[in-house]
Amino acid sequence: MNEYRKPLLVGLGIILLTMMIHARLRSTRNDRVPTDREEVVFWHFWGGADRQVVETVVERFNASQQQFFVRAIAMPGNNLDVKLFLAVTGSDPPDLINQDDPIIADWAYRGILTPLDELASPQEMKQLQPWLLPAAQRLGSYQGRLYALCNGLDIRALYYNASLVEEKLGVDSLPRELPNLARLDEIAHLCTELDDQGQPLRMGYLPDSRRLWAWGVVFGGRFYDTENQQVTVDTPPIIAALDWMTSYRRRYGADTIQAFRQGDQSLPGKIFPLLANRYAMIMDGQWRYRDIAAAQALERAAGKPVTRYGVWPLPKPAGATSSADGWVNGNFFLVPRGANNSQGAWAFMKFWSGFAGHESEAAETCRQGGWIPASQQVIKQPVFQQFLSAEPLFARFVELATSDQVPTPLVPGAAMFQRTVNQAAEKGMSLASPPSSTHLLQQADREIQQHLDRIHSHRATRRQER
Amino acid sequence: MRPASAFPVQGKLILEPALLEDWPPMLNSRNRQQTLAGLAFVSPWLVGLALLFAYPFVASLAWSFCRYDLLSAPSFVGLEHYQRLAREIVQGDHFGQALWNTAYYALLSVPLSIMVAMGLAIMLSWNIRGQAFFRTLFFLPSVVPLVAAAILWMWLLDPRDGPLHQLLMLAGLPRQLWFQGAQEAAHPATFMQFGSKDALVLMSLWGVGNFMIIYLAALGDIPRSLHESAELDGAGSLSRFRHITLPMLTPIIFFNLVLGLIQSVQEFTRIYLVSEGTGEPVGSTLLLSLHLFLAAFQDLEMGYASAMAWILFVVLALSTYLLFRSSRHWVHYQEQLR
Repeated sequence: MNEYRKPLLVGLGIILLTMMIHARLRSTRNDRVPTDREEVVFWHFWGGADRQVVETVVERFNASQQQFFVRAIAMPGNNLDVKLFLAVTGSDPPDLINQDDPIIADWAYRGILTPLDELASPQEMKQLQPWLLPAAQRLGSYQGRLYALCNGLDIRALYYNASLVEEKLGVDSLPRELPNLARLDEIAHLCTELDDQGQPLRMGYLPDSRRLWAWGVVFGGRFYDTENQQVTVDTPPIIAALDWMTSYRRRYGADTIQAFRQGDQSLPGKIFPLLANRYAMIMDGQWRYRDIAAAQALERAAGKPVTRYGVWPLPKPAGATSSADGWVNGNFFLVPRGANNSQGAWAFMKFWSGFAGHESEAAETCRQGGWIPASQQVIKQPVFQQFLSAEPLFARFVELATSDQVPTPLVPGAAMFQRTVNQAAEKGMSLASPPSSTHLLQQADREIQQHLDRIHSHRATRRQER
Repeated sequence: MRPASAFPVQGKLILEPALLEDWPPMLNSRNRQQTLAGLAFVSPWLVGLALLFAYPFVASLAWSFCRYDLLSAPSFVGLEHYQRLAREIVQGDHFGQALWNTAYYALLSVPLSIMVAMGLAIMLSWNIRGQAFFRTLFFLPSVVPLVAAAILWMWLLDPRDGPLHQLLMLAGLPRQLWFQGAQEAAHPATFMQFGSKDALVLMSLWGVGNFMIIYLAALGDIPRSLHESAELDGAGSLSRFRHITLPMLTPIIFFNLVLGLIQSVQEFTRIYLVSEGTGEPVGSTLLLSLHLFLAAFQDLEMGYASAMAWILFVVLALSTYLLFRSSRHWVHYQEQLR
């Protein structure tokens, strides 16, 4: 055995040394938890400049606290769901996560989330419901119970190049909103520029297949009937919305618009395509105001004429009776079941979102991040009002946040729901001769309904077995 | 008794009968100590194998007959998942589409990789100036990280502004949609219209450097005497390639074929990167591995995903078995020539 003693000792020595180095590195990290505080492990998806804002919020919270200490772990990319899922199944979840994927209903249904009424006092719950904007309430609820606290809404609207549209229309100013969808088409075709071979140099507007969610509700449709637990993807308003979107494919050709779209991905630094003059109008979220401000600053610095931009709400088809103004999603806090410090998580959620007397802190956070608050009480704060005056494009989105904004259906199996609807729209937009919109949406409807039925029947089987 | 020996001959391990005569070995005290020490050293690997491979392997078979979301206990559903998979194959939906996409990708990328790698290896075995430089040059892409390579290829194959598009335009050829198109260049209905799967096949050729190195080694192993004898008999270069080089390379071709088939069916990273994990456009890049991943980790349908994994395993095992059976007819080992 003697001959093995040496390599064994060397091996053990290496392991010990590695452990000592690791322990040393851990102790020098600046997020180590003070001995008199309780740690709150917080996972979030923010990256880039937003991550710095998140770290600032965490620092401000930690500085304000005697009891809790938040340790933020950034997980940018699109696999936070999988990591969280594995952490929960491995019984070692974080205390709190911040997420923007439509997972609330799915996870609440499977019993992995702690509803907020188990974290907040009855008094707090009573105050919380009216405190939230309707869109924020919808986003965080499943079967009438709040499972998530929204900390920022994502609203979509039409950004437009005001200088270009005014020039093409031969007018000096533009209205605050478009009267109807037909006017959008008219401006779009007017601003489209083609080369000698009929290839677009610039598109006035080009519907994105992933945005059937927005156009569907603007046309008066709803993707799910919660009361009857029925998928309603193939109802006439949504079919009409997809039909309208595919009219652009019919006009310009599937290959042409596919090739044009790919060009958006190849822009240097993934620049906002509106700024590259590839579109006259484009649907996007409030965060783009920063890109526009930066581009205008560059033009100003270079002594060039400054291109003006504006924001229009999504126009409805003429004669539409829909009350919905658009599609909303957002960022929200979730507390997984089995979290070690759910009270610490609740304290941090309140601090960030602004609930329970933290409105001014939240206003500062939203100003720094360019995020739309989840409550009117935060919007009203002087610091946020000043910010809105300085950023009129962003202010338009905040206005829209208080209107009727509809989220993606909050049902278990939402990921598949979203994927299938997107695929149906994608087929309609990118195949040279696709099946009719009715056929595509009927097929999607059937598949989603089967998927949801499977999930529900699994639950029923589990109940019977118990 | 002759000492036991085992020696590799061109990829085949020849075991002499003497090896088996002393089995099981009688362990004396020293041997036992050595065996125990050996087992202790390999125990991390054995534990890993048992926990991370053997257990999931067996468990996934059981789960394939259950509805299971990892969060609640599995409930037995019999053959439901297999019936659903069969239905999807018939209808050409989801699994059926993924199966077709995978077959298309594997059937094009594996032979092409073999041909390109072999062609490059043959050219790089020529005694020319800068041979080492060119060998390094052609091997370099294999060490480029997949993410960087994917971004590079998306730019190269941009159907509007990409360099390849510019070349096609110069040559007066029609525009190709590559990653943006659902077309299939090998399909009679869309013949020579290159779509996303064709782009993936092209992209897979980027990593043939590893195969190329193996071919280079094998080319160096072919006895010069064979070529010299053939030359004396008046054989031309084409004839020598056909009757000497190619047969002598068949063990390596066979090795690369089996390995390439398995790799292409398990292809995941490239597809995930270029389609952003969606399998788009129009499900044309939804290969089996991605479909399985989405079912398991997005839709939490572990039972369905396990059933899919087992079908994948059976298909791969069957294909490999058939390849091994066929190899008797076309793979030539050096010792057979002696």
